[in-house]
Amino acid sequence: MTTLISIRSLKKYFPIHEGFLSRNTKSVKAVDGVSLDIAHGEILGLVGESGCGKTTLGRMSINLIKPTSGEVIFDGVNILKLDNPSLKTLRPKMQIIFQDPFGSLNPRFTVERIIGEAMIVHGLADRLNLKSKVAEIMQKVGLPNSFMNRYPHEFSGGQRQRIGIARALSLNPRYLVCDEPVSALDVSIQAQIINLLQELQEKESISILFISHDLNVVKHLSHRTAVMYLGQIVETAPTKVLNKNAAHPYTRALLAAKPSTNPKKSSDHVPLSGDVPSPLNPPAGCHFHTRCPEATDRCKTERPTTFQLEERHTVQCHLYN
Amino acid sequence: MPTIPPLLHIENLTTSFQSNDTVVQAVRGINLRVNHAEILAIVGESGCGKSVTALSILRLISMPPGRFDSGKIKFNNHDLLSLSEADMQKVRGNDISMIFQEPMTSLNPIFTIGDQIGEAIIQHQSTTGAEARKQTLELLYKVSIPSPEIRIDQYPHELSGGMKQRVMIAIAIACRPTLLIADEPTTALDVTIQDQILNLLSSLKEDSEMSILLITHNLGIVAQFADRVTVMYSGKIVEEATVDSLFENPMHPYTRGLLNSLPKDDNESKLEPISGAVPHPAFLPKGCAFHPRCKDAMPRCQQQPPLTSATKENTHKVACWLYEEWVEDPQ
Repeated sequence: MTTLISIRSLKKYFPIHEGFLSRNTKSVKAVDGVSLDIAHGEILGLVGESGCGKTTLGRMSINLIKPTSGEVIFDGVNILKLDNPSLKTLRPKMQIIFQDPFGSLNPRFTVERIIGEAMIVHGLADRLNLKSKVAEIMQKVGLPNSFMNRYPHEFSGGQRQRIGIARALSLNPRYLVCDEPVSALDVSIQAQIINLLQELQEKESISILFISHDLNVVKHLSHRTAVMYLGQIVETAPTKVLNKNAAHPYTRALLAAKPSTNPKKSSDHVPLSGDVPSPLNPPAGCHFHTRCPEATDRCKTERPTTFQLEERHTVQCHLYN
Repeated sequence: MPTIPPLLHIENLTTSFQSNDTVVQAVRGINLRVNHAEILAIVGESGCGKSVTALSILRLISMPPGRFDSGKIKFNNHDLLSLSEADMQKVRGNDISMIFQEPMTSLNPIFTIGDQIGEAIIQHQSTTGAEARKQTLELLYKVSIPSPEIRIDQYPHELSGGMKQRVMIAIAIACRPTLLIADEPTTALDVTIQDQILNLLSSLKEDSEMSILLITHNLGIVAQFADRVTVMYSGKIVEEATVDSLFENPMHPYTRGLLNSLPKDDNESKLEPISGAVPHPAFLPKGCAFHPRCKDAMPRCQQQPPLTSATKENTHKVACWLYEEWVEDPQ
């Protein structure tokens, strides 16, 4: 598999100004040195708890947020260095589906306009063939064509998420960021959207960065999984390997905390103590040491580097030094 | 059949809301028992009436637009719906208490958490401020809040989401209720924090022998923490069983559909979603409300709402015409 998108030491620090005339400046290290590759046609799952930087990372990977430093190489081109006209020609190749199907559609636009606008902007359709192109895409995501002249408020959450998917797919992207696309939906609707994403991905072999806090969904959908904690990737592995042989204590804790739908599988694990520390003041050394059951003195002072356990299985933890 | 009367017994409860010209029945004639020292889970998708059921028990439905059309809610054999407001106020927080989904917005931002826990104690027990503070510290310790002596004088914004939910639990258990209603207590929290809170709730339940009515949409939580479970759809209970029985042998097509919609632990097969969407509560289909989405629907399902039938041992009940030959629910 060849790499489509390559993220190199990406950082995003959000400055926080405090004090008289904002003289003291601290920063929230939302993403703190992340490197990741996504291959052609690969679904990479990105899991982590709220505030760990998943969304910031996803948005930086398509240049919706400017990183503080680092590189995003898309098909051989560093998209962070591009000027606006060349970025615009690349935009159709990178699309995003948002978490909130209620907030991400313009309430004053009809479905036709929501889905079709980007095609007109990028010259993929004109006024004459717009209707037929929109109809084609709507069919792809399972929306009846009769919905074309309706407005977002007339739809349920699942249908709105289909509109969001249709909008992203209208430009034939090669890379798609899915930022918690199903977490606002009910279970029975979630499965419809997951199946739809899976079918579309198989048909069009799009590369997907699938951001979620739901480990079951990520496990079901993604080929490879990356686990994020306080702005850093602590473990990456093929999804099957990760679920069987999780190496990082945080990954193991996450997997153990996930309630199983099999009542016979009793949960006799000890829950992880404490809260996720504030990214404004992350702990020194390994960020996870304050909650880690296996922490040693070394973890408190020295930040672990990334170790290669097996081919395609990396972990950031002193246990594997 | 249990000879001890259940702690809570809801009989034929219907709660509806009037909006302009339409009447929406959010809860449509449900029967429900919560036994002593058990965790009963209510599962269902948004809008199925699970929260309205919980709010009805505590009579926290604002009237109008809400109203009770029929039914009884017997708590320790007293009908809560016939109590005066003053008597009901004594039940709330004292015998039955509730934790809400949103710990972020359920606490008052301008009072310290010590004040807010103490308020519940002073309200229901005739104690002094100093005694209430002592009890508050004990409660904070009980819900495992680190350094309670400092936390007691802090404001909600100084606490994380998980901590706030612990404070909510402390308020809820302050007067040692016999029934705790937990409405989606962990939905707003991260998995590792959810794990902590659920462990806390089940250990509190073990210690004090209270019953918990756990409302959730997460079937994993039901499987791991509840003793019995009821499944709601469009204001009705469609299935009720022990947790083991429900997950091993789901009967109602909706329950089966829900379980098939979930990514499995050890199975990579394609998900089987339920087609369509939940109907609008003001425009429910005739007959069984689930029939437009049901794979096993028969002509009869479009006409008549199904009766509830039960297995011989009365351990598993289901409201579906597929199980007509069963015993009629002895409820």
